[in-house]
Amino acid sequence: MAKKTYDLLFKLLLIGDSGVGKTCVLFRFSDDAFNTTFISTIGIDFKIKTVELQGKKIKLQIWDTAGQERFHTITTSYYRGAMGIMLVYDITNAKSFENISKWLRNIDEHANEDVERMLLGNKCDMEDKRVVPKAKGEQIAREHGIRFFETSAKANINIEKAFLTLAEDILRKTPVKEPNSENVDISSGGGVTGWKSKCC
Amino acid sequence: MSRLHQSRIADFQEVLGEPTVALAKLRDLCFSGIPFDGGLRCLCWKILLNYLPLEKASWSSLLKKQRDLYSQFLKEMIIQPGIAKANLGVSREDVTLEDHPLNPNPDSRWNTYFKDNEVLLQIDKDVRRLYPDMAFFQRPTDYPCLLILDPQNEFETLRKRVEQTTLKSQTVARNRSGVTNVSSPLKTTSNSLSEYEVLPNGCEAHWEVVERILFIYAKLNPGIAYVQGMNEIVGPLYYTFATDPNSEWKEHAEADTFFCFTNLMAEIRDNFIKSLDDSQCGITYKMEKVYSTLKEKDVELYLKLQEQNIKPQFFAFRWLTLLLSQEFLLPDVIRIWDSLFADDKRFDFLLLVCCAMLTLIRDQLLEGDFTLNMRLLQDYPISDVHLILKKAKELQDSK
Repeated sequence: MAKKTYDLLFKLLLIGDSGVGKTCVLFRFSDDAFNTTFISTIGIDFKIKTVELQGKKIKLQIWDTAGQERFHTITTSYYRGAMGIMLVYDITNAKSFENISKWLRNIDEHANEDVERMLLGNKCDMEDKRVVPKAKGEQIAREHGIRFFETSAKANINIEKAFLTLAEDILRKTPVKEPNSENVDISSGGGVTGWKSKCC
Repeated sequence: MSRLHQSRIADFQEVLGEPTVALAKLRDLCFSGIPFDGGLRCLCWKILLNYLPLEKASWSSLLKKQRDLYSQFLKEMIIQPGIAKANLGVSREDVTLEDHPLNPNPDSRWNTYFKDNEVLLQIDKDVRRLYPDMAFFQRPTDYPCLLILDPQNEFETLRKRVEQTTLKSQTVARNRSGVTNVSSPLKTTSNSLSEYEVLPNGCEAHWEVVERILFIYAKLNPGIAYVQGMNEIVGPLYYTFATDPNSEWKEHAEADTFFCFTNLMAEIRDNFIKSLDDSQCGITYKMEKVYSTLKEKDVELYLKLQEQNIKPQFFAFRWLTLLLSQEFLLPDVIRIWDSLFADDKRFDFLLLVCCAMLTLIRDQLLEGDFTLNMRLLQDYPISDVHLILKKAKELQDSK
């Protein structure tokens, strides 16, 4: 097996309604580019990015999911192994915001209890088309005790910050330990040392 | 033109020249690829997808009947509701005590209208991003639907319907002194749809034709309606028929695609239905079948993928649901579909193609770690589909 080039492995998941820009958010972070013409994600997609935090090399394994209801049986099986979940809505699409509570329930049902959650209001460059006020996003995030950013994959606003903050929050919960096994099991939730976090 | 190619064309012409097409013979020929020349592929697909019967004498009357039927669908499902909507501003006869826009009753015509809008918007999002690397779908069709684009018509077309539905919302903000500020997105010129060129009235882009086909399908099949990915199934069909060298057929690409798509969906629709996921006919079973076939053919590779916990859901879900249409360039997808449509057990061959794709990169997969392997599988490295199909055939014959 290849020599490990990182200290920790964090598994992240992007969820939210279809068309809110999950793939674009991820593409901005992983490739620092923007593409308006992404085809719809079918099932699940996958990207890797290694970042450095507090002197540690952290490999982020990021799973991008299809938004439409039909794919939920396929995508919810990924929730359990995720250490961080980014829940994305589109500030120009009221429905995608209304569905946030549904997505949060999904997380409660399918993810680990101590999963780190984050709410993103994407497309914040499109101020003229905004229908979800920022305060509303802040409010729902506060109610659920999770972090919130407004982002724009297109204008590159807060994308890196969001991912790094999420990684930091996970790192904070992670006991200092030797590197993980490369053998990754996203569906079982177990198998990754340093994730079963200690209680404070 | 090579002599071999010419003799292949002659073989097709011979089979298709008989008054009754010999299906087994035709399948044999199509399996190794159908020539584009003279519209052979379009014709063969229509036969293989059970749109055209084997008796050639009945073709012209059947085509006329089906194309008329499709026009009828357009009238009932797009034009009439559109007229009803357009009349609203004039006479308000649609808003009655029994039925009005806030009526939650499932029988309400208004309720249906709003439900349809949700489906339409989802279709719209996906068809606009159909094959973004190709100009074809953004280009105007030579055969816009005259029924719908008649400038005399004042009714609400799908295009207008999408525009109205996406732009109707306004932001209402009230400051502390009670001043209400309503900002309407209508005032602005930029919107997300304008990133795609909107063609002038009287023209329509190929993607708009695809949108209409999917909308009619959704209306006629409410149980499944529209699921993301269907756009990737209808895309190659429509492209093939809309580029038919035979212009008499090409003109009817929309109606013909609709019926071929409907027939194809009848065979693969279970893949799109969530409640069937875990049944014998659902997608989960098929994904497992890919792995159990792999286990038979290449146990070492199978064990490696198992050990790395690379589940078939991570890649085969897309491969199978979309009949590989997102994995290769369109001309290559079309070539693969020649073989799939010719398969007499209907898409059993698809499982073998998936297996072939795995075994052809076995050395890389056996070397790679989880990340590398996931990347290989999600962004498949081999573009030579002939090699893949040959391997799949070998696997089939080695049974």
